[in-house]
This record gives sequence, C-alpha cells and structure tokens, in this order.
Amino acid sequence: MSASLAALPLPLSAPSRGRIIAIASGKGGVGKTWFAITLAQALAKRGRRLLLLDGDLGLANVDVQLGLSPAHDIGAVLAGRVALPQAALHLPTAGFDILAGRSGSGSLAALDPAALDAAVALLPDAATRWQDVIVDLSAGLDSATRRMAASADLLLVVATDEPTSLTDAYAVLKLHQQDAPGSAVSIVVNQAQDLSSGRHTYETLAQAARRFLRREVPLAGIIRRDPKVKEAIRNQAPLLTRHPSSTAGNDVDRIAEAISKGRPGA
Amino acid sequence: MRLKVFRAATTAEALADIRRELGPDAVILGIRRQGRSVEVSAACEPPLDEPVIVAPAARATPLARHNLPAALAARLGGERVEDALAREFRFVALPDGSARPLLLAGPPGAGKTLTAGKLATRAVLAGTPPLLVTTDARRAGAAEQLTAFARILGLSVTVAQTPAALGKALAARAPGQPVLIDTAGTDPFDAADAAFLVALIRAAEAEVVAVLPAGLDADEAAELARAYALLGSRLLVPTRLDQARRLGSVLAAAWAGPLAFAEAGCGPGPADGLIPLTPSLLARRLAGEPLLLEDNAA
Repeated sequence: MSASLAALPLPLSAPSRGRIIAIASGKGGVGKTWFAITLAQALAKRGRRLLLLDGDLGLANVDVQLGLSPAHDIGAVLAGRVALPQAALHLPTAGFDILAGRSGSGSLAALDPAALDAAVALLPDAATRWQDVIVDLSAGLDSATRRMAASADLLLVVATDEPTSLTDAYAVLKLHQQDAPGSAVSIVVNQAQDLSSGRHTYETLAQAARRFLRREVPLAGIIRRDPKVKEAIRNQAPLLTRHPSSTAGNDVDRIAEAISKGRPGA
Repeated sequence: MRLKVFRAATTAEALADIRRELGPDAVILGIRRQGRSVEVSAACEPPLDEPVIVAPAARATPLARHNLPAALAARLGGERVEDALAREFRFVALPDGSARPLLLAGPPGAGKTLTAGKLATRAVLAGTPPLLVTTDARRAGAAEQLTAFARILGLSVTVAQTPAALGKALAARAPGQPVLIDTAGTDPFDAADAAFLVALIRAAEAEVVAVLPAGLDADEAAELARAYALLGSRLLVPTRLDQARRLGSVLAAAWAGPLAFAEAGCGPGPADGLIPLTPSLLARRLAGEPLLLEDNAA
C-alpha cells in the first residue's frame, strides 16, 4: 500500500484530483442551469477536460436545455447499472461531457441514506477522471443539495436583483457556512440590467453576508441580460455555439477566465 | 433573513419606513437612486422568525463520531472507509534519513523528541546507527531527554543551535549514515519561528516531517498542517494515535496540507516504535479498534 517517497508531489503542488465547482441559487428560475452549461462550455474552450453533472434527480433539465436524449443518466449510475465513464455523454459541439439527471422520478432528497451517500460520493469519483466537474445543483436546500455543495472546491451562487432571489441566495450562503466553514464561495449576478446595477445587486448580497454571517463573499462576475440567451435556450443549443460572441457569453467567458486562473473572486 | 426593498422620495423617509416596518435592528444592505426616488434594500434576521431548517441527517458511518470537517466527511462518505481513505490520502513509507536528513518539526509537545528516539532505535536495530542532532537547547532539559534515549542506544547527541552549526554538525556524517534532526517546538504562524525553521531545513537540505498529535481541534490541526506544508513538509507523522478517541484532526491535517501519511506514533517509550500507516489500519482505528501489537512493525 505504501508508495515510494519519489511518487509524492513536491510541496505546494496542487492535489492531483480535479476541481469540483458547484452551482447553486436557492431559488429556481434565475438562470442557474443555463449558467452551468455556458460556464462548462467556456472552461472546456480553454482545454479543460470537463464533466457537467446534473445534480437534480427530480427536475433535471441540463439535457433538455441541450436538446439531448442521453442513453444513460445519473439514476443508472447510482443503481450500479452503468459505470460513470460509460454513462457520461460527450458533446463534440460543446466540447465537454455531461451526466444527465433524471426528471420525474422523485428528488435526490427522497433517496434512502445509502443512495444519498452514493450520490454525494459521485462527485469526488468524477473529479479523479475529469479536470473540472461542474455540478448543476437543484433549486432548494434539501440535504442532498447541501452535501453536494459542501463537497465542492468552489461554490458559485447565482442571484438576480429580485428580493426573493437575494433572500434565497443568502440562505444558500448561510447554510454553506455551517456545512463547510471557510470553503471557497463566490457570487454570480445574472440577468443584470447593466454592470452598475449588477454591482449593486452583488453589494446588497455581500453586505447581508458581511453583517449577518461576518463573511466576505467575493464577486465571481456579472452577467448582463441578453436576448440571445433566451433565443439559444429556445433552440436547445449552447449559447457559445449558437452565438460565439454575445454580451452574456462574453460575461461568462470572463468568469471562466478568472476560474481557470484560480481566482474566481477577482 | 427578511429582506425588503423600500422606495421613498428621500433617504430619510425610506429609513423611517424601514425602522417602522423592520424595527431598530434592521440593516441597510444597499441604497441607490431610481429616477426621482430613492431605493433602499434593508433586512433583518430575527432568530425566532427564522424558518426551521432541518440539518442534514447524521449518518451512521464510523466516521461520524470523529468530527471531520463537513467537506472532508462528504468526500469520505458512501463507500468502504478503507477504500475512501486509499483514494483521498497518500500513504508513503517514511524514509530512514540516509538519503536526505530527516528533520522532525511540529508544535511544542507534539512528540518530536520521542519520535526521534523511536527512529533512532529502529536505525540502531537495523545496524545503521544514525547521526542524532537536536537544535533544541532553548527549553530547559530539552537535549537531556534525547540524550537519555541515545545513551541506552550507545549514541551521542550533537547539539546545533543555529543553521550554521547544523550544517557543520552534518559534515561529521559518515557516508550513507542516516541523519535524524530533532527541533524545538515551532509556532509556524510566528514569522521569526517560521524563518528559523526554514533556515534549519535549508542548512540540512532535510526532508521535513510534520509531527502532530492526534486529538487536536480539527480546524487547528488543518491550519497547522497547511503551515508546515508551506514550510516544505510533505510527510505527516501523527502521534498518540493509540490514545486519541477522535481522529478528525489527523485526517483534517493530512487533507489540508496536503501531507502524506507516513507512520504513526503509538506508545510512550522509544521501543514502542512507530506503526506504518495504511488505509486498512487507519480505517480500523477510526472504527474504534485498538492498535494491535502485530501492527507494530517497528
């Protein structure tokens, strides 16, 4: 079982496993799944071998947004019918792999504890095979979602300027602080009217975290409202494929750039 | 958190509305001008009005009682503990100090000197008497403890109080002779302490072993391990593994460093030795089984 000392990485080198980046929002309908797909595409464009994992067994829709009919999904992997590498579907047009969730079969929260453990353990397992694993968490704060968020190396919380979104995003930050104190988390503002109102949305949420949680939460980036996003979703195509250059696409690209340089809060 | 956005003609009016509706504890989160009016976001977090949040169910794994950091617990869940440990941690053989001097670093009271005594005993039994050096002459009786171990083994102890003296002491090493260096307890967060330790490491071109006792607070151990990793350590020797009942700090330290598990200190005497750590042995210890005599390969 013992390896030789020479097999050890030099001090300060990064661990050999890939990064797990979880995307949460608390509230649904703020563009979380769209952001997860577009961020996956922007990171894959930079040469990262990437898996996008739909962390929702109840109302999965990564595959729907991409117009796919995958042969296997996360349910098959959890049931032990298919191994993870075989269940992942490669998308040549988008440049990354996806593991589809499952729609209409009860939520992850309703899994028995052993299945729940297996679902959470999928993430580190995937991180040994892919350089980046992006997890599109389900809306809400059930314990499966919380445990998946807690096991991520970076949690990105997507919020819009609506008070309901801010309140729910704050709840995600608060629970994440309890579940994984000190771990990396950043805020993504989506559907901003312009950069300055996006900045205001971020400051509002950051101020709540500062005052109530005594924590500085950095900004990962602001994504401006862009009609091309809706158009791409309606056509079930990834934004960066359909519109290689667009306002929202460029905004996500900037976030990907910062993440790939290891400073998502910059 | 109860968040509400207030609109009024002036900031003063908005603030009055906020006080009236949310009470004196409300916090202003943001203010901006919207056309002719002012928009103020405010929130309060009354503890009693909080929705009841059910914490994730406690899991009946052998790990639950060890108070692991949540992120690490999540990574270790869902499979055999032994397999998870093998995947998430590195286990390496502790070198004997013949290729590069072995320097033992750690906080005061971690068990560095006892570990040095155990390693010296092993080297003598292997027929390669080591060069035994201590840099700790600060603490009263510090060198005496190591000298007492050494006397039984028929070894002498060289005291080297400075990096220069350490370099000089190593010049006396016979070709291929193992070198074991015991150091004074270090506070790695103290700049002077850390700089001194780095100077010693450089002078000896040593492989640094972080010696940390089991049973610390997990976050404390993780921070210490991270600090020793930054100072150049790649290896972890947890001590008191036979005594501690909570091993969260041991796993948190190896995880945070990251540091590879080498061996574990067990037992109070230099002859009790060190036990090479394996995923299976660590899994059994996590399950509450005592360490067995057969485990003691030293």
